[in-house]
Amino acid sequence: MTEWAEPRDFSEWAKRVFALRPILMIIMVSSIFILELRFDWMERILGSYLMTTNLERPESGSIWEKSRQTRTAQQTLEQILTDRQTLQREARSAATFTQIAENVAPGKGVMLSADHFRKLYLRLAPSMVPDIISPFELLGLFSTGHWRRTYFEKSGAGLMIYLLDANNRVLRQLELGSVLLSQLKRGEVALAESLDQLPVFKNRIYPAGQFFNSLESFPEEVRRSMVPHPETLLEVSGQIVRVGISDETLSGFIELGFEFFDGTQHRVVLVPGHEWAVWRLRSRLEGMDMDHAAGETDDPKKHWTRQ
Amino acid sequence: MSLFAVSLRRFSIIFYLGMTLAGLGVLLTAALFFMAVRELPQVPEPLGRIIETPPTEIFAATGERLMIIGGREVVPLNRISPFFIKAMIATEDHRFWEHHGLDKLRTLKALWITLFERGRIQGASTITQQLAKNLFFSYRRTYMRKFRELLIALQIETQYSKREILEAYLNQIPFGVGAYGIEQAARSFFGKPALELNLAESALLAGLPKSPTRYNPYRYFERAKKRQQLVLARMKAVGYSTVVEAEAAFQAELQLAAHSDGTPKGSYFLDLVLNDLEERYGPEVVYHGGLKVSTTLDPQQQAWAIESLQNGLKKLDQLMGIADGDETGGARPLTHPQGALVAVECNSGAVKALVGGRDYSETEFNRAVESNRLPGSGFKPFLYYAAFEKLGLTPANVFVDKPITIPVTGASDWTPQNFGREYEGPMILKQALMKSVNAIAAQLVERVGPDAVIDVARRSGINSSLKPVYSLALGTSGVSPLEMASAFATYATGGVRHEPFWILRVEDPLGRVLEEQIVRGQRSLDAGIGYQVVDMMRGVLTTGTGRIIRRTGFDLPAAGKTGTSDDFRDAWFTGFTPTLSVSVWVGYDRGLRMRDANGVGITGGRGAAPIWADFMIKATDGEPHREFSVPSDIHFETVDPVSGEIAGHWTQNPVQVALRSGEVAAAAPDKSATEEADRPAVQAPDKPAVEEGQKPTIKKADESAIKEEDLPPE
Repeated sequence: MTEWAEPRDFSEWAKRVFALRPILMIIMVSSIFILELRFDWMERILGSYLMTTNLERPESGSIWEKSRQTRTAQQTLEQILTDRQTLQREARSAATFTQIAENVAPGKGVMLSADHFRKLYLRLAPSMVPDIISPFELLGLFSTGHWRRTYFEKSGAGLMIYLLDANNRVLRQLELGSVLLSQLKRGEVALAESLDQLPVFKNRIYPAGQFFNSLESFPEEVRRSMVPHPETLLEVSGQIVRVGISDETLSGFIELGFEFFDGTQHRVVLVPGHEWAVWRLRSRLEGMDMDHAAGETDDPKKHWTRQ
Repeated sequence: MSLFAVSLRRFSIIFYLGMTLAGLGVLLTAALFFMAVRELPQVPEPLGRIIETPPTEIFAATGERLMIIGGREVVPLNRISPFFIKAMIATEDHRFWEHHGLDKLRTLKALWITLFERGRIQGASTITQQLAKNLFFSYRRTYMRKFRELLIALQIETQYSKREILEAYLNQIPFGVGAYGIEQAARSFFGKPALELNLAESALLAGLPKSPTRYNPYRYFERAKKRQQLVLARMKAVGYSTVVEAEAAFQAELQLAAHSDGTPKGSYFLDLVLNDLEERYGPEVVYHGGLKVSTTLDPQQQAWAIESLQNGLKKLDQLMGIADGDETGGARPLTHPQGALVAVECNSGAVKALVGGRDYSETEFNRAVESNRLPGSGFKPFLYYAAFEKLGLTPANVFVDKPITIPVTGASDWTPQNFGREYEGPMILKQALMKSVNAIAAQLVERVGPDAVIDVARRSGINSSLKPVYSLALGTSGVSPLEMASAFATYATGGVRHEPFWILRVEDPLGRVLEEQIVRGQRSLDAGIGYQVVDMMRGVLTTGTGRIIRRTGFDLPAAGKTGTSDDFRDAWFTGFTPTLSVSVWVGYDRGLRMRDANGVGITGGRGAAPIWADFMIKATDGEPHREFSVPSDIHFETVDPVSGEIAGHWTQNPVQVALRSGEVAAAAPDKSATEEADRPAVQAPDKPAVEEGQKPTIKKADESAIKEEDLPPE
């Protein structure tokens, strides 16, 4: 390697400066500089390099933070909506008020159409209907055309029902207390203290002993049609003292009224029985067993049913 | 050694030293680059991701959009006025189409200025660098941040086209007044889409991003015009407009969209809505969830509420001899009284208008909701209701207005005084409420007890903490105007309470309902007693402390009550028609006394009632004359205001009172047999108000006995 020596005069210095190597170097450096100014190649190289590393880099910075917040917000909203829709779906598929009451969580309500309420209402036992809202009042509400939707909301152990107009103003507020709901749940209706207070049972009230003696005289499958869910009666505290048979039929059912006495008070529990079976039971109670006396009348139901 | 040789040697040393330093610089830059790259954020693909956050929108009851939060109204470049695009490029980065993210010449120039011209810092950020900063970086100024910003800009330039970059940039820059992106800005400032902006408007808007607050044209129009001029000059300089065009644009009149001060309308109300939404859903959902919120606000009533309150407060300033605040409003919140107004729809509880101060841009403290101030006599209706309900009193029962001292167990005696420290002797309770007589209110609370008053206030709709003390009946526990408006609405509806609400419905970005308000009422007060109180409060407007209301020309059936706290620190008027309940409060934030230029105190009748009347005249314009519904158990009697006896032809200034079934006014006694009575007892409803043979003591009893302080200016 040649040791560098200081040029001794101008000509030597000039020789060195204008030699091929320095000139090439100067041209190269200048070209690089000019080309960078003209074509931004350095920026492009860096930009391209950064593009290749893009996916490996963190999702940081305000835009990513915003994106995360948006995702979280959307997830939260989805959750709220899913809960709400599930609640609504369950409410729409509910066949009774009690099923709605079971599905509604405290602080969260469900909205159903006025028609849906009407369907649920029509499934109530007729004797139960006035306890919730009079059918005449309901007819009146329908006739105004204002009633659009119904909102159900938990209220303690009971259920609040709001009949709403198009602007969500409450037209009528109904309350189904916990006692009423548990009665509905058992499929029973306790309305009065005594069968005598219910005109539909007039002249068709029998002592419990006589009723159950007659009931027991039928085969099990017939008895099941007369009192389809006897276990619900077992849940009621007290002793059955009298049983009444309604003079009305509804959709092929006749209500039986069981009067309970728990030592302090009487109350009546209503249970629907199949019309044909109850009719046979009543015949036996009245001493005109249909198995033997079917031909004695054209249509025995006509004597004691009112459609 | 020759001189030449020495010079040459020095040059060589400098040359090689320079080369070494340059090499070191390159190495250092490379090291810096790799250091910076490690923590460089990822650039999203596509760049349009910046607009993924859907905006949360808040609407008035009329459907008008009140506010948009987050999100962007993104428009493609071909939907943006070319004037604006040129103005923006000329102002921010005139070599935008030429460089690759870094304007080297401009950067060198800026570097030179920053390094060698003391006190000057020159920026040279290109549009791409600004976009990089806005998307990824904080506003903290560090060299490393600037370097990273540059690197990201280089990547963005490589990854996206110039049009994509420009589109992203124009759709996210802040213009102030809550407008982000050019489409929102064009609509906010000029009420038109970005495509329709002319040169003058474009130049004005292009000047805003540099400092949206400083150049806000609503507040600093001259500054904004100067900035516009600068933008036009830049456009001229880079050849985007001619001298003539620029001059014409500068001279053109700018039609700014209707904003009072560049802040969204009903901002106190919107604060209330946002706070409520945050409590229900959390801030993340509110600001990033894209909610669609329908509120109860009536924009027209809100505009009137702001106008009435501001005008009323200006008049109050004049009355009190206070000079106008400075232009920037710096000292006004402290030197000028503040106010609040809340309007609630009676039969639903919907808040139709809410103003929490004289100017939202000066102070965002919401006095309509967050400020609990002493209601003074405004609280008396709850006391009278409690007295009627618990003691079986009627508006026709007679009490004596006289100095009174009530012993308080475990504390010093309570000696309430009337406003004017004058006492009128016996009067019926209706008259006592109309005239806001403290001495009789004190007697009532002594008998009924503060707990009963609290119970009634709670049932009416007051939720604030209330102290169970006698003075409560004279309004010594703080309440908010929203509570007062809502509680008085319960009387307007015959005792049916509606919780106040301001959100009607909340939907997600796809329009699926998250919640909706059920407008339900609950009977909390007896309709008959409630009506008796309403009837008494009607008298406040006709001949009582709020009679200025009728003098202003407001003639619809209405009831209300004035209220003034000790030393005139708070002045209230809360009143209602059968449809709308409105509460107005005025006072200083710091609790200073309000007195006029002559030193006379400002009462509810003088300070708040005129504002109430002004608002109600506008808000009920065109409404039919609708009476309060009278419960079936109410009948009316005309009685003597002093004795409570059924009025005869001899009775002066007879007063009509509302009585419930079973309540009767006393029959007129034999006039010749009246004697002075020491202390007429509280009368049972079925007893005569003044015992026969007794004559009520009247120290001063005529209509002019209403205290001057409690009267509005004539």
